[in-house]
Amino acid sequence: MSEQAAVGAANKGDCIVRAVVSDKLEVKVQTSSEDLFGTGLKVVVEETLSALGSPKVRVDVEEHGALDYVIRARVEAALRRVLPELAVWRKEIERGRTGRDRLRRTRLYAPGNNPRLLAGIELHGADCVLLDLEDSVPLAEKSSARILVKHLLSDVDFPEVWVRINPLSTYGRDDLAEVMLARPHGICLPKAESADDVKELSEELARLEHENGIDPGSTFIMPIIETGKGVLHAEEIASADERVVIMAFGAEDYTRDVGARRTRDALLYARSRIVAACAAAGIQASDTVYADVDDEEGLIDETKHIRDLGFVGKGAINPRQIEPIHGVFRPTDEEVEQARKIISVAREAEEKGIGAVAIGGKMIDRPVLERAKRTVDLADRLQEGWL
Amino acid sequence: MKNVLGRDIPEKIGDRVLQPFAGAFARVPSGRKAARPQKTIKPGENKLLGSIEEAIEATGLKSGMTISFHHSFRNGDYLVNMVVDACARMGIKDLRLFPTALFPIHAPIVEHIKNGVVTRIEGSMNGPVGAFVSQGGKLKEPGVLRSHGGRWRAVEAGDVHIDVAFIAASQADAYGNANGIYGKTSCGPISFSTVDAQYADKTVVVTNDLAPYPAYPFEIQQGWTDYVVVVDEIGDPDSIASGTLRITRSPTRLRIARLAAAAVKASGYLKDGFSFQGGAGGISLAATKFVGEEMERAGIVGNFAMGGGTKLLVDILHRGLVRAILDGQAFDLAAAESMRHDQNHVLMDPGHYANYDSRGCSTYMLDAAFLGATEVDLDFNVNVNTHSDGQLLHGIGGHQEVAAGAKLTLITVPSLRGRLPVIVDRVTTVTTPGEVIDAIVTERGIAVNPKREDLKERFVASGLPVRGLAEMKAEADRLTQPPRKPIFGDEVIALIEWRDGTIIDAVRRVEGWE
Repeated sequence: MSEQAAVGAANKGDCIVRAVVSDKLEVKVQTSSEDLFGTGLKVVVEETLSALGSPKVRVDVEEHGALDYVIRARVEAALRRVLPELAVWRKEIERGRTGRDRLRRTRLYAPGNNPRLLAGIELHGADCVLLDLEDSVPLAEKSSARILVKHLLSDVDFPEVWVRINPLSTYGRDDLAEVMLARPHGICLPKAESADDVKELSEELARLEHENGIDPGSTFIMPIIETGKGVLHAEEIASADERVVIMAFGAEDYTRDVGARRTRDALLYARSRIVAACAAAGIQASDTVYADVDDEEGLIDETKHIRDLGFVGKGAINPRQIEPIHGVFRPTDEEVEQARKIISVAREAEEKGIGAVAIGGKMIDRPVLERAKRTVDLADRLQEGWL
Repeated sequence: MKNVLGRDIPEKIGDRVLQPFAGAFARVPSGRKAARPQKTIKPGENKLLGSIEEAIEATGLKSGMTISFHHSFRNGDYLVNMVVDACARMGIKDLRLFPTALFPIHAPIVEHIKNGVVTRIEGSMNGPVGAFVSQGGKLKEPGVLRSHGGRWRAVEAGDVHIDVAFIAASQADAYGNANGIYGKTSCGPISFSTVDAQYADKTVVVTNDLAPYPAYPFEIQQGWTDYVVVVDEIGDPDSIASGTLRITRSPTRLRIARLAAAAVKASGYLKDGFSFQGGAGGISLAATKFVGEEMERAGIVGNFAMGGGTKLLVDILHRGLVRAILDGQAFDLAAAESMRHDQNHVLMDPGHYANYDSRGCSTYMLDAAFLGATEVDLDFNVNVNTHSDGQLLHGIGGHQEVAAGAKLTLITVPSLRGRLPVIVDRVTTVTTPGEVIDAIVTERGIAVNPKREDLKERFVASGLPVRGLAEMKAEADRLTQPPRKPIFGDEVIALIEWRDGTIIDAVRRVEGWE
């Protein structure tokens, strides 16, 4: 605890909030246009202070185009630094439901400490958004980032939103306590190495669901495999808990851990093992991110590779990567037509009681039929999206 | 009185009786065009004068007169300040400035307003002059803002009589042929001034690069020019045109551009013979790039693209995606360069592309266009002139003519700029009426004008995120406390003309805040 604190930065979309313990409550606001924004900003700050119990502090806000939830988050973060015993801000929210087998071709990462990059992150058409509190957030901003993510989650609707917490052994429990107030659809567990890691998280989630009036078991888990040990335990991790609906691969940390270079060959074993583990557990497998944002061709090439390996999705670090990835997972018209033909021939055969049928000399066995059904299902789901 | 949009406009300004805006294509012109006095010269007569002061004397420029300029040198222009400074030194006062646009470099004009040298301005006022004039009580009469085509029309019609036109040229000969395509400080076309040169009582070409006769292309012609003045410097090359305009990297803006390009594709207009207007703003530049990529993928060859010219548009021409670029101004060096070498990069003036009182406009031949806005409202009206705090900001440019002409006019805007909502109940100022806007594209989706059910059906069929404008507004509004609204007084700061010369809106002085 300190007498004063400053949170936020003079960046576009952000604000700096300075809090000092005082003998009375005082608010000062500085903005690019006092005429336009002065009054509204004061309202936001005062409402936040009142929700936090109107403590005796002097609060200075320097606004740089920040939205209301950013202001609220920065005010709360600054106040909690000077007054750690302060009430915690929360808002009753309704979060739309999502399904276990939802389409998850892309999980779009966004750094949880950067308001400029978080603004509109829900609008880019990613199948799921992943708000990161781990690798992209420097140590000094861990606490303000988890508060910012909570406020973002409280104000914005997402088709599906996950939070990547820090490992439970470091700041993960604090992350969970904060963000579960705003009920994300799922929690992403980095560096998962054993079934126990997942179970530990699941128990913590159960406790927080209970505390926050969230349906028990409704919060999903996405373990990320990014170490040699994690790869070797992929199977037990994938099947560790009912909450696990998808498992992801993190190649950057994995190559560092095993001492490999990031080549396709070096990753093949890990990728294949993860896909197999997910198949065995009946969950989805999602591949690592492609780091070079400007190399669209490379991204498409790698996505085709991992699609062929059996992954159903891939991480994206920039919204620009979404369309290329979705493009790879979009079945072609010919594929859809062929798949529909397979399904109808197979149905006909079943009705007539014929055992084995073929199209163009190729046997339609169960795996072929299953794949055709998946293709048609995907095509139907994509009807609505332009991405 | 109220015009058809319900905007309150004055009946008269000075001697001028104002006509209220009645609809995008409602006004029918009558009568004949204005004309300058006849004149002849004999072989061997000299037009070359030694200085701006000599030109002022020779033209008989006096207090109370109107002088005109173009803005092709943009924020690098030296001529406006040079001429007005010279007038001030010579004791000339009460001038009406009739520039196409003023820029921050013209900040010294503020002093000349204060000391009475300049008392009226009709033209766009970007930067300090606009901010100063917005305070009210500064000019004898309200400013008048016109579109490219609207200004041309006003000169032809005699609505604005120019006493002396001063035309900055990057190259000219001593006989008065001039252009902006060649010379040390080439700026691209100076064709905004071709109407001034033909209708002003006196026309003065000012250049820093005197070429042997003939200097060509003949953007400004010898038969129109009374005098030629050579100066050391006509503009700052670094501020005339940008090196290369950058495509936005903002994910939000890129999404808007992608949606706009997808909308063009879904509209059904994107086929062989396609034509479009490429902009220079971050979003429209990106949308232009994406449309170009789509044309390449689909093997479509378009008829033409319209400038302002940019490197991106030049690339599209060179990749064979369009047969020609029609260009009234160059936004970067590559565009100016391309005009020197490529006969398919065609120079045109605002009379050709935008004039309402004419027998044809290039913008009427456009399929698609991407335009910006400072605000849009629930009636699809667009504001590009003022900020939400009532300050005069930007000129109209070709916004009105492109929107009125293109079959598919898309306004591409973020739903929020910082804390400021862009979709509002009622725009602060109407620049372009909703009746000529087909859809508004934001990062939240595409709102289609109810007049275009056909488009809406196509967009929906293509899986585009079609949304209601009010719905997108509500979504953005939830993220910020509403900004305060200015309270406007009676004093009119500026009139906004629709391209046909009627008054679409009046900008009034801000007197307080709600």
